[in-house]
Amino acid sequence: MREIKNFQIDLKRTLMQDGPKFLSHILVVKNHIAYIKPTISSMLFCVVYIVVGSFLITLASFIYIESQKMDLALFLGGFGIAITTFGISLIQPFLKRASFSKQSNLFNNKKDRNVKLTHIVSLQVNNKIVKRKQALSYHCFELNMLTKNGRRINILNHNDFLQLHGDAQALARFLDIPLLDLRREIIL
Amino acid sequence: MIKIKQILAVMLMAFSTSAFAAEEGGFKETIAAISTSVDGFFNDYTGWFVGGVFKSVPLGGANFPLIVGWLLLAAAIFTVYFGFIQFRRAGLAIDIVKGKYTDPNSKDEGEVSHFQALTTALSGTVGLGNIAGVGAALAIGGPGATFWMIVCGLLGMASKFCECTLGVKYRTILPSGAVSGGPMYYLSQGFAEKGLGGVGKFLAVGFALMCILGSFGGGNMFQANQAHAMLTYAFDVPSEYGIITGVVLAALVFSVIVGGMPSIASVTEKVVPWMAVLYVGMALIVIGANIDQVGAAFSAIFEGAFTGAGVVGGFVGALIQGLKRATFSNEAGVGSAAIAHSAVKTKEPVTEGLVSLLEPFIDTVVICTMTALVITIAGLNAAPFDGAGLTGVTLTAASFTETADVFKYLLALAVILFAFSTMISWSYYGLKAWTYLFGEGSTTELVFKVLFCVFVVVGATIQFGAVIDFSDAAIFAMSIFNIAGLYFLMPVVKKELNSFIARVYSGEIKKFK
Repeated sequence: MREIKNFQIDLKRTLMQDGPKFLSHILVVKNHIAYIKPTISSMLFCVVYIVVGSFLITLASFIYIESQKMDLALFLGGFGIAITTFGISLIQPFLKRASFSKQSNLFNNKKDRNVKLTHIVSLQVNNKIVKRKQALSYHCFELNMLTKNGRRINILNHNDFLQLHGDAQALARFLDIPLLDLRREIIL
Repeated sequence: MIKIKQILAVMLMAFSTSAFAAEEGGFKETIAAISTSVDGFFNDYTGWFVGGVFKSVPLGGANFPLIVGWLLLAAAIFTVYFGFIQFRRAGLAIDIVKGKYTDPNSKDEGEVSHFQALTTALSGTVGLGNIAGVGAALAIGGPGATFWMIVCGLLGMASKFCECTLGVKYRTILPSGAVSGGPMYYLSQGFAEKGLGGVGKFLAVGFALMCILGSFGGGNMFQANQAHAMLTYAFDVPSEYGIITGVVLAALVFSVIVGGMPSIASVTEKVVPWMAVLYVGMALIVIGANIDQVGAAFSAIFEGAFTGAGVVGGFVGALIQGLKRATFSNEAGVGSAAIAHSAVKTKEPVTEGLVSLLEPFIDTVVICTMTALVITIAGLNAAPFDGAGLTGVTLTAASFTETADVFKYLLALAVILFAFSTMISWSYYGLKAWTYLFGEGSTTELVFKVLFCVFVVVGATIQFGAVIDFSDAAIFAMSIFNIAGLYFLMPVVKKELNSFIARVYSGEIKKFK
C-alpha cells in the first residue's frame, strides 16, 4: 500500500532572495482589472545604465570615425554594450505588467502559467532582510499568492511596507480572498 | 525623421573631435583651472592635516614619517603578544577556511562560509594597491621597497587578526536590522566595559571621522584618478577628459549606492574575483616568460632593501615607501577590514580573525611581490628613484606591456573594475562611519552618497598633488585611533584566542573533515 504523506506549504517562507531598497511597483485597480505598475524611480535607476551604456557606444563610434582609434573605440564600445545590455535586462521585468482580469478571469504575469482568479486561495505578506556583502542590509517585503494547486507566486517585492500593505488589502478586496500578514521576527 | 536627423547633428557637433579641437584649448584650460583650484583648496585647508599625519623625523638621511613607525611598531607588538600567531596558527586558519571546523549539517540559510568571506574580503583588498601602489613604491623606493612590503605584510597579519576578531566580537544590530561592526563599535563598547567610556567614544568618533575622509580620499578619489590614468596610458586619452571618466563612474556608483538595485552589486561581486584571477594570471605569465631573470630580480630586491642604492634617504627611504604602500594595499591596522569582516555569520569571533590574517599574506606577500617582480624584470624603473619618470599605475602597466602589448588592455579593464569595486566597498565603510556619527536615516545617508559620487568626479578630474596626499593621509589617520584602541583591547582578543585553542585541543570544537 502506498504511504500517504501529509505535507503543508510553508506560507511564511519568502519566494525571492533579493529585492530592491526602494518602492519598485504599485497596484492599480481600474474597474474589472488590477495591474502592477512600475514606479518612475525604479525605471530611472535602470535607465541610468542604458543612458551611460549608450553614451559610451556613441562616444566609441565618434572616436573611431574621427580619429580611427580602434583600440579605444573597441574598449569603450565593449563597456557600453555590456552596460546597455545590463540595463535592458534590468528594465525588462519592470515592463512586464502582471495583471488580474475579472473579464478573462485570469492572472497573467508574463512569466508563470496563467492562473484562474477563482483558483487563487489567499494572499500573504512576508518579510525578509536582504544582506549585502558591501553595503548596508535592509528590510524587504513580499506580497505572494497561493493557488488551489499549492503553487506560490510572487506579486510584489520591495521595501516600502506601508505601500505594499495597502496594495495587498486592495488586491484582497478586489479578488475577495483573505490576506494573511505572515511577517516574522528575523534573528540575524 | 527630421527630428532624428536634427538630434544626430547636435550629437555630431557635441562629440566630434573637430568640435573638441576647436574648443580644446578652452576646455583644457578650464579643467586645468578647476584642477589647480581644487588642489589649492586641499593644500590650503588640509595641508595642516596631511603635515600632521605624516609628521616626520630625520632618520638615516631620510624623513621618517612617525605614522609608518606607529603601524610597524604596532604590528611587531601584536606579533609578539599573540605568540607569532601568523606563523604558528596559519595551519589552523587554512583549516577553518577549508571548512574543517564547520558542521556540514548546521549551515543556516544565507550563511556565508569562511571561505566565501575570505574570497569576498580578498576581492575587496586586491585592487589598485597591488597595481598602482606597488608601482608608486618602486618608483620612489626602488626594488628594495618590495622587501619591506613583504615584512610589513607578514607583521600586518597580526594586526589584522586583532582588529577583525574585535570587529565580530563587538558588532551591533542596528534598529534597521543591519549588522554593524568595526572600530567605531569595539572602541566605544570595549572601552566602556572597562569603565573608560569617554576615551572609547573619543577614539570611536575620531576613527569614524577619519574613515569618512578616507572613503572620500583613498577609497574614492585615488581610485577614480588612477582609473583615468590607466586610460591615459593605454589609449592616449588626454588627462583633461578625466571628467568624462569621472561622470561615467559616478553614474554607475550612484546607481549602486543610491539606487540599491540588487543586480549590479551581485554582478560586481561576481566579476571582481575574476579580475583578480586575470591579474595574477598575467603576472604569472610575465614571470614565467622571464623565469631566467627572477633570480636577478630577487637579488635586486634584497640588495636594494639594505643598501637603498639610488633611493633618496637610502635604505630608510626604501623602507618608508615599502611600509607605506603595503599598508595602503592590505589595510592592516587601518581598521577598514574590521568593518567588512564584522558582517560574517559566526559564533566564534576568533575564527574570523584567523581567516582574515591570511589576507595580508595573499595580498602583500604574494600578489604585491608578483607585481614588484614584473616591474623589476621589465627594467623600466631605473635609478635614481625619485618618481620623476613612470610611477604608479603607469609604471606597472608599462612593465606588463614589455612582455605583451595586449596586457595593457586587459590591465585597463582590471584597473577600472578594481577601482569601481573598491569605491563600492569604501562607500560602505564610509557610510557605516557616517551612520555611526549622524544616525541612520534616508536623508542623512543620501547626503553621504551624493557627496561620495561628487568626489568620484573630482578624483578623476584633478591631477596628482595635494588631493592624493590628502587621500593617503586620511587612510593612515584611521590607524591612529584604531591602533590606540587595539593596544587597550588586545587582552580581550588573547582571551578569546586562548579559549578557542583550548576548546579545539579538548575536542569541544569538533573537526568535521
